Amino acid sequence: MSRTLPSWKQSLGGVLAASLLVAGCESPTVVPTADGRQNIHTARIEGSLVVQSRSRGNAVVFIYDADRPPPPQGTGRPIAFTVVPAEQLFGPALGTDAPGPFTAPFSLSLVAAGRYTLRGFIDVDSCRSGATPCHFSDFNPWYGVTSEPNQGDVGGAAVDPTTGIPLTLEVGVDQEGHPLPLTNVTVSFSQASAQVPVDRPAFQASVIVGGDAVLTAGGPPKVLRLVPQNIEGGAVEQRPKAFLVSYVDANRDGVPDDANRDGFGDLWPRVVVRKLADSPGLLEDNDLDRNGILDANGTDYPHADGTRDGQPDLVVLAAALVPDALYPALTDEAGNPRMTPVPVAELHIGVQAVALDARDPAAPARLEGLPKGRYSVVLIQSTGQTWRVPNELAPAIATGIGLTGVESQAFVLEAP
Amino acid sequence: MRHYKALQRVGLLALCLCATQVLADARLEARRHFRSGMSLIGKKEYDEGIAELEQAYAIKPHPNVLYNIARAYQDAGRTAEALDAYKRYVTSSPADAASVEATIAALEEKQRASQAAAQPEDNSALPMPPPPASIQSQQQLGALLERLEKAIERAETMPTTGPGTATPSTYVPSALPGLAEAASGDDGAVPYEERVVTASRRAQSSLEAPNATTVITSEDIRLSGATSLPELLRRVPGADVMSLGIGSANVSLRGFNQRIANKVLVLVDGRTEYQDFLGLTLWSTIPIGLDEIERIEVIRGPGSALYGANAMLGVINIITQLPGSGPRARFNVTAGTGNSVAGSFLSHGNTGALRYRTSVAYSQADKWSRDYASNRPDIVLRDPDPDIGMRGARATLSAVYTFADDKQVGLSGGVHRYTTEIYPLGLLRNYFMDGLGAYAKGDVELGPLKLKTFWNHISGSAGPQYEPIGQRSLGTDISSNLFNAELLFARAFYLGGEHQLNVGVEGRLKRVGWDYLGPLREEIHAAAFVQDEWRLAEPLRLVASYRVDRHPLLDAGTPGLAHSPRISALFIPIEGHAFRISAASAFREPTFLESYTRLLVPVQGVNGASALTTGNTALRPERLTAFELGWRGESAELGMDWDVALYQNRVKDLIGLSAFERLPAGESYDAASGNYLIGRSRFVNEDSIYTARGVEAGLTLAPVDGLGIKASAAFQNVTSDLEEKEACGPCSQAPQLKLYGGVTYRTKADLEFGVDVAYTSSTTWIEREPAASDPTRIELLSNPLGAYAVINARVGYAAVKNTVDVALVGSQLGSAHSQHPFGNRIERRVYATLTVTP
Repeated sequence: MSRTLPSWKQSLGGVLAASLLVAGCESPTVVPTADGRQNIHTARIEGSLVVQSRSRGNAVVFIYDADRPPPPQGTGRPIAFTVVPAEQLFGPALGTDAPGPFTAPFSLSLVAAGRYTLRGFIDVDSCRSGATPCHFSDFNPWYGVTSEPNQGDVGGAAVDPTTGIPLTLEVGVDQEGHPLPLTNVTVSFSQASAQVPVDRPAFQASVIVGGDAVLTAGGPPKVLRLVPQNIEGGAVEQRPKAFLVSYVDANRDGVPDDANRDGFGDLWPRVVVRKLADSPGLLEDNDLDRNGILDANGTDYPHADGTRDGQPDLVVLAAALVPDALYPALTDEAGNPRMTPVPVAELHIGVQAVALDARDPAAPARLEGLPKGRYSVVLIQSTGQTWRVPNELAPAIATGIGLTGVESQAFVLEAP
Repeated sequence: MRHYKALQRVGLLALCLCATQVLADARLEARRHFRSGMSLIGKKEYDEGIAELEQAYAIKPHPNVLYNIARAYQDAGRTAEALDAYKRYVTSSPADAASVEATIAALEEKQRASQAAAQPEDNSALPMPPPPASIQSQQQLGALLERLEKAIERAETMPTTGPGTATPSTYVPSALPGLAEAASGDDGAVPYEERVVTASRRAQSSLEAPNATTVITSEDIRLSGATSLPELLRRVPGADVMSLGIGSANVSLRGFNQRIANKVLVLVDGRTEYQDFLGLTLWSTIPIGLDEIERIEVIRGPGSALYGANAMLGVINIITQLPGSGPRARFNVTAGTGNSVAGSFLSHGNTGALRYRTSVAYSQADKWSRDYASNRPDIVLRDPDPDIGMRGARATLSAVYTFADDKQVGLSGGVHRYTTEIYPLGLLRNYFMDGLGAYAKGDVELGPLKLKTFWNHISGSAGPQYEPIGQRSLGTDISSNLFNAELLFARAFYLGGEHQLNVGVEGRLKRVGWDYLGPLREEIHAAAFVQDEWRLAEPLRLVASYRVDRHPLLDAGTPGLAHSPRISALFIPIEGHAFRISAASAFREPTFLESYTRLLVPVQGVNGASALTTGNTALRPERLTAFELGWRGESAELGMDWDVALYQNRVKDLIGLSAFERLPAGESYDAASGNYLIGRSRFVNEDSIYTARGVEAGLTLAPVDGLGIKASAAFQNVTSDLEEKEACGPCSQAPQLKLYGGVTYRTKADLEFGVDVAYTSSTTWIEREPAASDPTRIELLSNPLGAYAVINARVGYAAVKNTVDVALVGSQLGSAHSQHPFGNRIERRVYATLTVTP
């Protein structure tokens, strides 16, 4: 006896069979989650390090926004960095003094579209070769007092392989606006041409004119005396013998630049006296995320004309080298400018109780009064090396981070 | 033509809705018929009563129903039918088979004598089956005798018993063999009574359980169409189920859910599936298929007093079918959208005293969504198959050899080769795990003494599914072995009332090799527990439990003890209604990850930098102090039961990652990785004390034949003594309101319908992410997550009764949503299933 299925049962069976047949075979769709990184399209920069050096150490490569170059060209801070360990870079030659060249791949990840410059240095461990005095590899990006190259380190940059001129690298975008990777970039390090000649310009400061380190609006200017500060022991090794003083010659025409057209050549080192954040510590005012770029939200100080520009300000005090004693040293016997750096034993810095908004460095705007707070003194050397006081060596800070405190490094100018 | 089709559809619907002899929740419906039948029989309305019992048996076979049918026929003087029913009963191999066979023999003798003498039978002279000759344990015998005494008492005091108010005293349900922890929840001495084993580590009526308890039966599982265990748990009042991927879910009870949910102990037949080294349950790696599960018991509330560490917010005990209790062969094939394919074979059998169950299965499914596309210029996919959310092939074998009624040996083992997803903590994101899981379990039962041993193994590779190109990769090798032995003793005695005593001792060895932990790590744990259930005076019972766990690090890095007391009072003033009040403490031990980790997490976008995450061997265990009021009730006549619970959980010493601290300058460089360490985040005990208060209600209803309704609601509020609401992760991450509603409708003939909806209110998740402007800085980001509803539906059709079943399942039929800010976007899937039971 045959049994006929009711039509609705056939229908249901058909649905089931069809479902089996049409079981989806498409790949899952791409749906970024709330994880911020998934919602950003980036690319990468990768290539090779080429090192010619008898010195050995890890290679550190920094990426900068091309519009915010590092000292001495600017005051930019690195966006990111990567490290190629010495073992990988020098391989079997690590224990020798063979000059190379040595090559190793490097990569900078998650780079957004834009224009960049790459800089780097070999964090040389000169103690390895028995030199005295010597530096161990002492770079540490997390502290201002350890985050720059020292004497003997070997500088490097992404350069045109044929001309050796530093390059501006551009991470472009495709038709959909997504960044494209930049590959085969060469970062060259040459001991012969880019070995750092001196340590960082570590200094101690004292007020020699104007009384104490307290500035008052409308008060007289202060004159600070800076002398090299040796720092030894612990993670920081700085032995500056003198400050390197030179004319600024950005266009390399052999003639001192005179940006402010005052009839006198501009000088290295440069001095910046910048307001610190009101919170304890070393954060700079209106740069609480420590990226070297003014925060989107911050304090907008009134300008001298009574207006506000609606943006957080970069507050600096009017400060400059006192050049009286420097120009003679920068003039040769024939009365011509001496264009090579000259070591000097001390520097005098004049600081006026005048605050400026240096958001636009080319056109600083005078602020009304003197914003209350603490101010740091930053010295920028022609080599690009800098030193700032106060810093992490201030005893109150140093003990908490494993550094040896140095009393002079707690110096700060104050505007009550 | 369109009208004709519409009429066809209406007709189909009407046919389905008006089908006769339909079934809803089988246990409730069967119980309703059973109660009704026994009541009628008590009133000497034998034919009607027996018909009701037969109907109950047809809905859900239970040997004791056959026994009662036989007794009813016997009392009615219908010897032939009584003999037939007794013989059917004996075929179920009851423990009292010998005595019943004696009764059969006597009945047959009487029948022959009666026929020969043409005289009426003298029922009173017949030897009645003695009380159950042997039962699994003394506890059950005690329970049985108590019920019998109660029934006799009622019969004596209420000779004109109304319908459905009492079981006639004449009819003594027999007990079944094998009422051990792995036995069916419906196989208690009282037919269709919901029974649980997890709450007290012995079989008992769910009414007598000292905790709020939810049972998910095999029938619930089948009718739900669920394809994963976590999906089933949405129906549990107070359960937080958070699916981040199709193979990655986190389940908590009464709040405190998170990536790597670590406060609920998950067991399979008493063997832990909670991975102690990591502190989570890898749901998709459990080597048990849904079709092998007899029931799932969920203890909502602290369970450390019996189960020790990690049974902090609850215990989920997955109880598999007793070997030999299922079909000789069953094939199941499923296919669906999302490249979902599954197939399984299940077989039960027995040879003499040896019973076994074996299964093999394969399953796979694509992710609901992918976080990254292939071939990006910045991200490399490390996942061996970036589309696959879960894939696995597994096999299990379970065998029991019974020497005597209360002496048996059980051996089981399984292996699972799988790929799945895990969403770890902190800065880590979506992980793949390509691994092998295996277990072996041996149980020996000698009367009141039980020895339980097991070994759990996991090995394989686990690492981020995607990484920035050029970034340092993390190690992926992982291996874990866990050995556990437990000795249990149970005894009933009288001392100022009846006592049910359970004591046990346990030892555990854990060995974990994992790149994240440094060298091979090993820990030895020990524990002892005791529980006494004291029937002080009816209707009051007291349950006191205490467990002490020895952990190698609990005393500031040296061996220490964790104490877990629990006291419960049960008040059962009338049959079917139990009121309980309980106070307990529980704890979660620090995991290997929390104790020993030394992991350098790459800072995304800064290839030269890493963030150091370290363990802490001086952690205190997370602690819970809980108070609970509960009311569990049932109305067999209405086919309804319910459970209401009010609770307060006070949680302290939560373990979490600290904020990043800068490292001393001399420790900021890791030569092995060539990375500078931005800082260190370590596992610490939080200072905050969190208080969760809530109310839960669950209802199961079979109001009319064919219709089954399940509904639950849970409301909770979590507060902190220190943190503001905006900064309090546990406060804002716990959904305040959860609702569940499910309806099943099935015809006895061939069709089944089911739909359920689980609603979860909105939450805000506080996550740690690298700052966009400065990836070396970690920010706490609030990620709001909207309310969502999970809707599942199933249509089943028995194409060939008891042989071929087909079903169409719609999963996640609600709007697309995520259940965690970093989770997949969950979208609907449709599956078709073919089940053949030759």
